[in-house]
Amino acid sequence: MASASAVQATPSPSAASPAPSFTERPWVRRAGALLLLVVLVVAPLVLPQFANETLARVGVFAVAVLGLNVVMGYTGQVSLGQIFFLGLGAYVTAYGVQHDWNVVVVFLLACVVPAVAGLVVALAAARLGGLAIAMVTIALPIVGVPLAKRLGDVTGGSQGISARMGGAPEGSGLYNDQWTLYVVLVIGGIVFLLTRSLVRGKFGRAFAIVKGNEHVASSMGISPYRYKVLAFTIASLIGGVSGFLYMYVIQYTSPETMSFGHSIQLLAAMVIGGAGSIVGSILGGAYYVLVPQLTNEIDASLTALLQGAILLAVLFVLPGGLASLLRAVTRGRRRSGAGNGAAAPSTTPPSTAGSAPAAGEPETERHGHA
Amino acid sequence: MNTHLRSRRALGLAVASALALALPACAEGGGGGSRSSGEASPGITDDSVTLGITTPLSGTTAGPGTCTVAGVKAYFGKKNADGGIEFGDGKTRKVEIEALDDTYDPQKAKANYDQLKNDVFAMTAGLGTPTNRAWREAAIADEVPQALIMTGDPLFSDTDESPMQLGFVPIYQNEGEAFGKLLAGSSQDHKVAILSQNDDFGEGYVEGFKSAVEDADNIEIVKELTYEATDTSVDAQITELSSTGADVIFNAMSVTPLTIAALQKAQQLNWKPSWFLPSNTSSPGAILQPGGATAYPGVYSVSFAKAPASPAFAQDEDVVEYLAALKQYGDYPEPPAFPHCQWSWMVGATLEQVFMKMEEPTRASFMEALRSVKDFEAPLMLPDTSVNTTEDGQPAVSTVVVQKYNGKGYDTVESFQ
Repeated sequence: MASASAVQATPSPSAASPAPSFTERPWVRRAGALLLLVVLVVAPLVLPQFANETLARVGVFAVAVLGLNVVMGYTGQVSLGQIFFLGLGAYVTAYGVQHDWNVVVVFLLACVVPAVAGLVVALAAARLGGLAIAMVTIALPIVGVPLAKRLGDVTGGSQGISARMGGAPEGSGLYNDQWTLYVVLVIGGIVFLLTRSLVRGKFGRAFAIVKGNEHVASSMGISPYRYKVLAFTIASLIGGVSGFLYMYVIQYTSPETMSFGHSIQLLAAMVIGGAGSIVGSILGGAYYVLVPQLTNEIDASLTALLQGAILLAVLFVLPGGLASLLRAVTRGRRRSGAGNGAAAPSTTPPSTAGSAPAAGEPETERHGHA
Repeated sequence: MNTHLRSRRALGLAVASALALALPACAEGGGGGSRSSGEASPGITDDSVTLGITTPLSGTTAGPGTCTVAGVKAYFGKKNADGGIEFGDGKTRKVEIEALDDTYDPQKAKANYDQLKNDVFAMTAGLGTPTNRAWREAAIADEVPQALIMTGDPLFSDTDESPMQLGFVPIYQNEGEAFGKLLAGSSQDHKVAILSQNDDFGEGYVEGFKSAVEDADNIEIVKELTYEATDTSVDAQITELSSTGADVIFNAMSVTPLTIAALQKAQQLNWKPSWFLPSNTSSPGAILQPGGATAYPGVYSVSFAKAPASPAFAQDEDVVEYLAALKQYGDYPEPPAFPHCQWSWMVGATLEQVFMKMEEPTRASFMEALRSVKDFEAPLMLPDTSVNTTEDGQPAVSTVVVQKYNGKGYDTVESFQ
């Protein structure tokens, strides 16, 4: 696979260190996690306002891509409807905020309502196999947009609905952008940690078997149907969380939010970040937000063309997504027996700590394709 | 704001090395600005002022979106080449435009706004209701002007609700009302069938139309149907409406292919009413010709801008100057296919008026000046229309004239024939 060739091509750091599996030592991993935590706590305080706002948006879509990854990257079921759950979560949040509900209640509803909707859809859709699921899920954004327009009393119709929340509380001494980013980091961080445990535990193994071969799964006593429904429901729930965060950061939603095109863009972001990868979800979120900004900087009238070119370029060079590059780098370093002690924590982006590859990890972690 | 940024920078230097994660975004955000009273607002210096635009430059709405940038760019490009604009505070400034693509996605529009808000003096000219609504409240909170934007949504013209906003183009109600008045003034009796988009756009038009014909005895509304903006066909609605035998159809539709299909379908059914079409779906070249509009006794629309393609205006001074500037400064080589180019040119001219009245280089002074333009006949405006920003609840342009299709372009009409 491409990741294998990437391993050969990646130059390994020249500085040698005596410890071959430096990054796997428990204290190193703990120190890495601590360093990541410190960076995440300090970053919002020192970054310029626009960087904070951008990172918050990256967080929103990283969570959305993560949800898609659960159902698609890990369980292998094509879902084209993830944006619908984001939109649903955003609408629930907006409705709650407009009616002055407690923000915790709003958050819980933004999780539960999309999860229930996802469960209902999945109960029917998971009976189908392969591309039929894709066809069912494709209907969600297609139905969602006119539905949001029709239910004008609740959704504000095609003019959309605004809900401002997320102002920094009095006395915290924080600016709004800093506070918002902290909220995204905390909620997003919890979702990422929970999902990481999920896909690395017994459910993750079951997902992987369902993805690999449903008949094998059945013969092992794992019901593909049940696990597909479970994966889909979790993906919808995570989609709902991203919808809450969307409302927290962007403060406005309209039927346009859940248009079908955005669902495809989410899918592209997942593939580019790396399917079946936790880090890949963060990279996918970053791709979703940063590439349009980047292409806007180059030439605002050629954004679609440039984004297409970037998409093709990434897929040609890294079919396993951006996450496979990180994996190749760390693996290559390990193979050459050179874990550079001093450089390791700072050269590896903080986010890798979440999925620093360990030899015994499930297969899914290495199968970087949809 | 000042100290906030300064302390951030100092700390930022110390920990910059640890922040690989934020590198791509970091570089752009440093622009910062000060907003303390008395000082100049961000985006304005003694010799230049920068305006920001977020508008769809790719995707399905790219055509009109590109126009919203081209017109205003062309206008100020020409003014800059002539030396700049003399502001109300006596300084002559050049006007720079920074335009970003939002692909008609509210989320991206908000991101673009966040990117621009500390670098530009004011936001302007952007197209789209959801994309402008997405950052309306943020603009109010940040006190960034969102001036002369291209949406018919009345919310932006409500001074209490939207203190930092002002729409440029007529709101939907203005257009529907103008046609209603013309029809009510007709000497004959008319039966009207209404087909409207099931959203604020369609409702606005119908509301304006009904308010104008409410007291007219000669007008009877025989049937009202709606469709969804996402529908791919309105054949069923047209067929149902044709059975009423109405002689006028009020078609509040914003989707180009559907408008063409509706014009064709009625002909197939041999139903030949007079049509009313909104200003954004009445392009002679893009809609009426493929729709075979000459088969109907009359196709009416409303306008406030001279159509550069119309032979009547080929020698018009405004039009000649505008087309030349559009080519030279607006990066828009062909004659424009969308009226948004002309509107955007007028936005430029209106902003110039505002700048000339602005006594301090602050956003507050800009907003004050913005709401004081009265009866300004912007270049390219049709007779009997003008820019008037002093009326609460109305956009900058609220007067439109009704026009009738003549097979090539439009002629202004005084009465319904």
